[in-house]
Amino acid sequence: MGLTRRQFLKWAGVTGVGAVVFNGCRVPDHEIQVQSPVELPEDLVTGRDNYYATVAQVGSGSEGLLVRVMEGRAKKVEGNPDYPLNTGKHHIRSEAMLQATYHPDRIKSPMVRIAKGGPFRAIGWPDALERLTKILGDADPANVLLATGPVRGKLADVTKLFAKDYGAQALGFDPIDQHVLRTAIKNIYDQDVLPDFDIAHADFIMSFGADFLGTWIDPTHYMRGYGEFRQGEDRAERGHLVHVDSRFSVTAAAADEWKYVNPGTEGLLALSMAHTIVTEKLGDAGAARALTGGADNHLSSFSADKVASQIGMSADAITNLAHKFAGTRGRALAIGGGSAGAHTNGVFNLTAIYALNYLVGSVNVPGGVIFNPAGDQSQITGAPIRDWKAALDAMRSGDIKVLLVRDANVVHGLSKQLKVTEALDKLDTIVSFSSFLDETTARADLILPGHTPFEEWGTDTPDVGPGYRTVAFQQPVINRFRDTMAFGDVLIRTASELGHAMPWESMRDAVRAAARDLHSTNRGSVTQPTFEEFWKRSLERGGWWDQGDTVSGTPTPPVLPRAAVKAQIAGDAKVFPLHLVPFEGHAIGTGQYAHLPWAQAVPDPITTVVWTTWVELNPKTAESLNVKQDDVVTLESATGDFISVPVYVNPATPPDVASVPIGQGHEQFTTYAAGRGSNVLDILAQAEDSDTGSLAWASTRVRLTKTNVRVGLPKLEGIEEPRQLPGEPVIVVFRPGEEDDSHS
Amino acid sequence: MATQTKPQSATDRSTAFKWSMVIDLDRCTGCEACVVACQSENNVPINEESAFIEGRAFEWIRLERYWEGEWPDIKARFIPVLCQHCENAPCEPVCPVYATYHNNEGLNVQVYNRCVGTRYCGANCPYHARQFNFWEPVWPEDLRHQLNPDVTVRTRGVMEKCSMCIQRIRRATRSKTPSDIPDGAFNPACVQACPTSAMTFGNLNNPESKVSKLQNDERRYHMFEHLGTAPTTLYLKQVDTHGA
Amino acid sequence: MNNNTLIKVMVPAIGLSVALVVAVVGYFVLQSWWSSPPAVLGFGDGPTQPIAFPHTTHVTDAGIDCQFCHRKVTTDEAATIPAVAQCLFCHDFGKIDGTKSTSDTAAAELAKLFDDSGEPQPVNWIRVHRVPDHVQFVHAPHIQNGVSCTTCHGDVASMQVVEQVRNLKMRDCVDCHRDNNAPTDCATCHY
Repeated sequence: MGLTRRQFLKWAGVTGVGAVVFNGCRVPDHEIQVQSPVELPEDLVTGRDNYYATVAQVGSGSEGLLVRVMEGRAKKVEGNPDYPLNTGKHHIRSEAMLQATYHPDRIKSPMVRIAKGGPFRAIGWPDALERLTKILGDADPANVLLATGPVRGKLADVTKLFAKDYGAQALGFDPIDQHVLRTAIKNIYDQDVLPDFDIAHADFIMSFGADFLGTWIDPTHYMRGYGEFRQGEDRAERGHLVHVDSRFSVTAAAADEWKYVNPGTEGLLALSMAHTIVTEKLGDAGAARALTGGADNHLSSFSADKVASQIGMSADAITNLAHKFAGTRGRALAIGGGSAGAHTNGVFNLTAIYALNYLVGSVNVPGGVIFNPAGDQSQITGAPIRDWKAALDAMRSGDIKVLLVRDANVVHGLSKQLKVTEALDKLDTIVSFSSFLDETTARADLILPGHTPFEEWGTDTPDVGPGYRTVAFQQPVINRFRDTMAFGDVLIRTASELGHAMPWESMRDAVRAAARDLHSTNRGSVTQPTFEEFWKRSLERGGWWDQGDTVSGTPTPPVLPRAAVKAQIAGDAKVFPLHLVPFEGHAIGTGQYAHLPWAQAVPDPITTVVWTTWVELNPKTAESLNVKQDDVVTLESATGDFISVPVYVNPATPPDVASVPIGQGHEQFTTYAAGRGSNVLDILAQAEDSDTGSLAWASTRVRLTKTNVRVGLPKLEGIEEPRQLPGEPVIVVFRPGEEDDSHS
Repeated sequence: MATQTKPQSATDRSTAFKWSMVIDLDRCTGCEACVVACQSENNVPINEESAFIEGRAFEWIRLERYWEGEWPDIKARFIPVLCQHCENAPCEPVCPVYATYHNNEGLNVQVYNRCVGTRYCGANCPYHARQFNFWEPVWPEDLRHQLNPDVTVRTRGVMEKCSMCIQRIRRATRSKTPSDIPDGAFNPACVQACPTSAMTFGNLNNPESKVSKLQNDERRYHMFEHLGTAPTTLYLKQVDTHGA
Repeated sequence: MNNNTLIKVMVPAIGLSVALVVAVVGYFVLQSWWSSPPAVLGFGDGPTQPIAFPHTTHVTDAGIDCQFCHRKVTTDEAATIPAVAQCLFCHDFGKIDGTKSTSDTAAAELAKLFDDSGEPQPVNWIRVHRVPDHVQFVHAPHIQNGVSCTTCHGDVASMQVVEQVRNLKMRDCVDCHRDNNAPTDCATCHY
């Protein structure tokens, strides 16, 4: 650089005019300054980056991450290659977490509402904590509800302990909870925690409704296995995937065969396959005996010809599937979840599906379902909708007067039909610990904003582990960016103020206590003589896991039901001709990531639509209803509620189905989410699974009315005209040994 | 001159490295982890809703989806498309200011400070891998904290595209000989993120590297092979099971 | 002197002086553009730093190696500027006898490190060497390939106030790269 600004101005100042002329060309001050900080820890060296291991809870998934930090700012998220679940890879949502930390609309400090309905005023932390203590001290603990999003690990311990000692009720919230799956797993495998699926070593996968490559449970982990399932170097032959679903999801796109069945009949299909396998003695004889209680005709009501029309498949196709499944050379695996469990008969469906694994001997063996040890797992899961309806009633009746809420956006995540806002208005006080002004937090009287995952301490005990004991450590990779405080620390401090101090002084202390327990086992991925050394090493690696700590043995299969439980679909098929299949947003989930621009701007893989809600219709259906792409239509369910959404004509949508993504329709929740699309949860009939009380979110029928409005649907498709030559990226192969029995 | 550039003082680097990517479409599920990882690493501007409506969304790597067949026998195919780093790149000879050229490591390079924004290269790219900054890219002040200091933030009026994460290549190969760099020691952001390991990156001049070995895979093909652009990016075809 | 002579003398004189001014300004602008401005009127001087840090004293007199302070120069992009804490390794009056820091000027300069309450404060140095925009300059490979610090930075060891000695324009870089058979691929620095 020849001329510095200073030199130039010094000289140009003499001429007077020069100062005016050249002032506009000057280099900003911050570009010609280099700061020597006072203290310079190794990791803060100017111009040098460092990587820190931590963990992020991505929905039900658990991802070990390495975050690149430079001069105290998180720059890039990368997968932690050591972490057993995602082994170096990561999900869009983990990456987008960076934008949560540096989000322009993040709550910058604690806030209090001056008067009911009035504006917020920023306050300091001592004041905020004092107010919280006063609210809780004055309230009757029996009238306090502590609502959180799904929480795991040490934070779950702290939250549960706080609620227990104080005497409040704690309730988890997740618009799509997994209780149906948990119950089915308990019924069929007698396991308290969800098992892992060894996709990498399976040879034939039959997936019912579980979009495991897209949004279900832990997609990154499953995709790790899927890559190997397809083209693993040590595989004898390529795995074969059959996906049964009522929507064409990413998993359906990846599948070798996608089977559409009438919604809610997935369990029937599984039992019909089981019937074929048992009667033709294709499977494990012992398991067949146990599942049928020794009675040969136990499953006779599910014979393929009897149920084929109900399922919507031909009897031949059903028996063919059963033959393929049971006749797999190698390991066959059945996975069920998602829309298959989202019916009033959800538990029946999933129980039937997971029973198939017994018949092919795929329970707790490589290539099959692998059980996870329950040891460390501590979590607050999303409660069934039944519990939430009860909580809302309690709010209305005055049994709940104070709501403490953290990342549980009930105003958006519960249907409008439940009149959530009305119930919240009845409350005396709402205290929010969320980092963003979502619809629920916007109704709070006091906000104590929490850290983002990159700023706080914690542990993660994965919901679905890798088949052995795993504890991940979450450490702050950066100092807090805004004037926030970790939710766990607020609870610990408040508990001690209220006179029931917890055994830990802070979240860090709690995490260290967890690490001490792991250190004392003296086994697993990190073993060190001293605790401090163990602490350092396990933080560096992102956690601790013990491949030797597994669950062994196969439980005895329970007896399968003799009769089918039918799914109750809300709405008369004549009046409401279309089956509504909602699905979780690819990146924005059920709406909890809708505030992150990367998550909003990444195209839905199937439709390529971004930033909004749409309804997918089959081209023939669209034609018969006289609607075209970009036409706005209203979808109305039997409850009388409706939403207006633009049409995306999707050639893979079944003719009697309308698919709508969940996640948009926020009224608030930052500029990136507010006022976009509609919330399909609002029109769902609030039906429940009969066993668990979970929301049966796939059991609504709708009718569609065309409006006169047309919009330009924002999507990637069409920006670049398709350039791929048709057929080029595909080669067709025969599965070895399959040339003879190929029917189609 | 710039069309077949071999910088005059070609050192031994010209034979040391030839970077290449192989994308196995049979592993790809269309999850788009690559897309966001790339945006984060390379300071790609945020695509607002209007960017999609105007047809000006920025994605250095994008996921294209093709339909085949009709319901119920329908297939969706995914293909991640990025700059193919063609050996015989159509974008290079048309640039009047030599802002895009082929370097001696097999990369098609875009030099932002040379670019004057004629957009000829973008028009000439059969893969639509190039994006033009019609507007100054803006980030909210807070989000700028996330920007990668190793990558230039582009300005209005310049063309940009996949650089194969050249900042990572530079960092990893700096003052090193090929034998110092084990295969897979570093990866571009997309390859690093890919959950199914559908993407592989490496040095073609190392016969032992994974990408070298995959060059002979029976499923190999180059996108638009008939155009003669000779891409260094190789795709492996998806496999369809007969009777499915 | 009549009007004619006045015109005869004045017009060429004015013309000449205008031409001279244009030539000087032109020379100045072009020289600054292509290389660095001529070292007149304080143009070659280094900026006045918030603390008058004499490299002579530290390098020549005290014999401290460049890398003692600029620690990451052999391995990283930036040579890095040390933290204030590092100054206090030697200049901590409480602990070290401070034979080298007892001069009045030194004491006065060092006092600027602390605020009124005696707490050390960060120092906002003014950058002396700044490569043009769009350049990703990395120190490490230069040092690793045997380029001495003085090649680009001049004889800092004898500078009371650090100033820029090379223009560090692209031609300067490329010439040196050519001479030393270093890569001249654009993407070596521009990405």
